[in-house]
Order: sequence, then structure tokens, then C-alpha cells
Amino acid sequence: MSSSVDTAIFVKPPTRVSAYLDWIQMLTGAGLILFMWSHMVLVASVNIGPSVMNTIAWFFEATYMAQVGGPIIGATLLLHFILAARKIPYTSDAQGVIWRHARMLHHTDTWLWLIQAFTAMVILIMGSVHIWTVLTNLPITAAKSAMRVQGGFWGVFYLILLPMVELHVGIGFYRIGVKWGFIKRSGRKKFHRFENIWTGAFILIGLITIIRLWTLPIAGN
Amino acid sequence: MSRQLKFNIFRFNPEDPSSEPHTDTFMLEETPSLTLFIALNKIREEQDPSLMFDFACRMAICGSCGMVINGRPGLACKTLTVELPEEITLMPLPVFKLVGDLSVDTGTWFRATNTKIESWIHTDQEFDPEAIEERMENDLANSIFELERCIECGCCVASCGTANMREDFVGAFALNRISRFIMDPRDKRTDPEYFDVVGTDQGIFGCMGLLACEDVCPREIPLQDQLGILRRKMAFQGLKNIFKPKEKGRHRRF
Repeated sequence: MSSSVDTAIFVKPPTRVSAYLDWIQMLTGAGLILFMWSHMVLVASVNIGPSVMNTIAWFFEATYMAQVGGPIIGATLLLHFILAARKIPYTSDAQGVIWRHARMLHHTDTWLWLIQAFTAMVILIMGSVHIWTVLTNLPITAAKSAMRVQGGFWGVFYLILLPMVELHVGIGFYRIGVKWGFIKRSGRKKFHRFENIWTGAFILIGLITIIRLWTLPIAGN
Repeated sequence: MSRQLKFNIFRFNPEDPSSEPHTDTFMLEETPSLTLFIALNKIREEQDPSLMFDFACRMAICGSCGMVINGRPGLACKTLTVELPEEITLMPLPVFKLVGDLSVDTGTWFRATNTKIESWIHTDQEFDPEAIEERMENDLANSIFELERCIECGCCVASCGTANMREDFVGAFALNRISRFIMDPRDKRTDPEYFDVVGTDQGIFGCMGLLACEDVCPREIPLQDQLGILRRKMAFQGLKNIFKPKEKGRHRRF
């Protein structure tokens, strides 16, 4: 505790900024969670058949949802990053504090936050690259996606990005539930287990989809 | 054959210029129902009289013996050695000022935080010593008491990632404490006034929801539930009259 007098207290009226920022951080997070899960389900339509994926992609472009929605998602991602990054320590001193703290505590939820912070950095870069690549090369088709994955580089790229996104999104989902009081003490354990299974399921669907794209014959699709 | 316990204990006396932070190891034979409180007293009596640690009540009421036990903040008096492995590492609570070895000064921190959140009943009602005590519904009294059980041991603060990174964060203790006053009809503070106190990044919006406080609290106070209720309450309070033009002047509140 500092013993100096905080003279700024007399010129700073109470503001609501913290409340607004917390709302926006949560709402952008919740929006991106819903988007990522829908995204996974839609891309996984290639497992049913390339034509199903093509039809869905066509629908999103005919309605301009990809052209307009895509950049909005990109901007939301950036906004969410800026807001959530306020919580991540910037100095190496503070980073050392939270790292040693987590190692000392042996506490799952504290580790989950560190995973969130780490995956956030990866998603910021790789997610942006992915959005740029897809949106500058419309329309989306199963054949184009397959070609990209089969190039090798992008295949590995998505093998890394997939678990990063699903972990971040899954932990974020759990965190919103317990932080905002939607999940009570009595339901926490169950909710945590559900989140683990749910995240695992999405990673599995993602892996199957990547394998499908890797093995999809490009000609004719 | 009882276990031989190995204690690794943090040692440092900030008052002594020649003292360097280090770990001392003590061996102790485990006896039935041995608590860390008894173990530390035995070590001090039989092996090293200079060992510093705090205790008063030995029954989880005074909150003096909070320390980091194998990585987790907890009360020494409430921790049985049978629940622990043979090797036990004891460290002082972080965040608080170190007095020496395992003893920390939680008092200064709690005093300052209680002052910051104005941790008392705010009322303009004149106190009449002759009057019969005001009545309160039993359910309400019980739910206030549930939060009032806090013994200010500091475990929630020491286990909090945010409190460790940012010294201006008031911690689960203060957020639980303010929840207690929000419930109490005798406190005449209004929601906007509570918002002034905890509707900030030093208050409820600084909480990242890591829930270590919930998991270490020796009194098992429902911190997860209280923090959730408080966040929602303050978040909605922040949105009230969002489109109303702001009043001019230095003393404006919302």
C-alpha cells in the first residue's frame, strides 16, 4: 500500500468506463464464441459432401454475409483482443508474478487463464492471417479450401490454429458462466466437465474436417 | 510406524540486515491429529526458537495463521498433516508485508481496504441506546451472516492472480464485504454509491474470475456466487440512464 496521497481523487469524477468495457469485453467474447462454433459446424459440412459446403458458402455470399460479416468479425476480434488484453500484464515483472503464482498455486482455473492469454496471442496473428486469406480469395469453395490445406503449409497452419481457437473459446465460455454468476457454486464442476467434453468434441470435428479437406479430390469439386 | 515429516520453511527477517531469504528444513515425527499449528509450535519449542509465525485462536476463527501450504494459501491451524504428503513446504502469504519467516502483516492491508470501500453501516439515523433493537427477518439475517463469517485471514487475496499482479485491486474479501452491506437494510447507501466504490477496475470489474479465492477460502464463503451477483448488479447499474444527458459540475454522479 502506498502511503502517498492520491491527489487525482479530487479531479476525477466517478465514471462508468470500467462497466462499459467489461460489458463489451463479455459481449464481443460471447459473440465470437457463438460465431466460432457456428463456423466449425458450417465448415464441417464438407464431411457430408463438398456440394453441401459449396451451397452454404454460396448462400453466405449471395446474401453478402461473408463480404460484410467477415470484416465485422475481424473487427470484433480486434476489439475483443484490445479489451481483454487490458488484463494481461505487459511488463516482464508482472508476467513473472503471474507465472510464478500459477506454478505455486496448482490451480486449474488459474492455469486456464494463462492458456487463454497465450492462445489469444496466437489467434490474434493466425486468425487475422486466416481471415485475410479467405476474404481476399472469395468465393469460398470446398475445392479451394482443399487445395489450400493440401499445399502443406496451410494444413499445418490449421492444425495449430484449430486447438488454439477451440481452447480459447471453450475456456472463455466457462469463464463467462462462472464470472457473471450464470453458473453457481453447486453447478461449477458439472459445467467445467461439460465444457471440456464440448471443447474436445469441437477439436475432434475440426480434425476430421482438416483430414477430409486434405484427402478431398480437388478436380470436380 | 508414524511418518517422518519433512518441513521446508521459508526464512527471512527483514529487520535483520544480515538475514537472507532462504529455506530451512526441519524433521518432525507425525503424531495423531497433528495440525500444522501444533507442528510449527513443536518445531519452535524443540528445534529453532527463532522461527516466526502467527497464531492466536487455533480454531480457524482469528485468521492469523494464514500461510502458503504446499503452494496453496490456507490456515495452519485447520490443516491436518495427514492430508499432506511427507514433504511440506511452508511460505508466507504473498501480497502482504512480510514481518518475518511465515508471519505477515495482514492488518495494514485490511485496514486500508476496509477504509477504501467504507466498510461500515452508512446511516443518518440517530442511535438511541434506550430503544429496542430493530428487528430483521431471520432469512435476511442468516444470509448477511453467511458473508459476515469472513475472518480476514488473507487467503483469498494471496491466491488471487489479479491481486498479485495489481496492488490496487481490492480482492474477493472487499467484494464480499460490500455485498454484505448491499444486503443490509440498515445501510442507506444507494446502488450508485456502491457503484462508486466497487464499479471499477480496482473493484468487481478487475476480477478475472479465476476463482482461486472460492477454492482456498478456509471458511468456504460462497465467493463465486457473491462475485457473480455483484458483477451483474454493478454492470446493470453502469447501464442505468445510459442515454440521459450528464449533469455538469464537479460533483456530478452519473
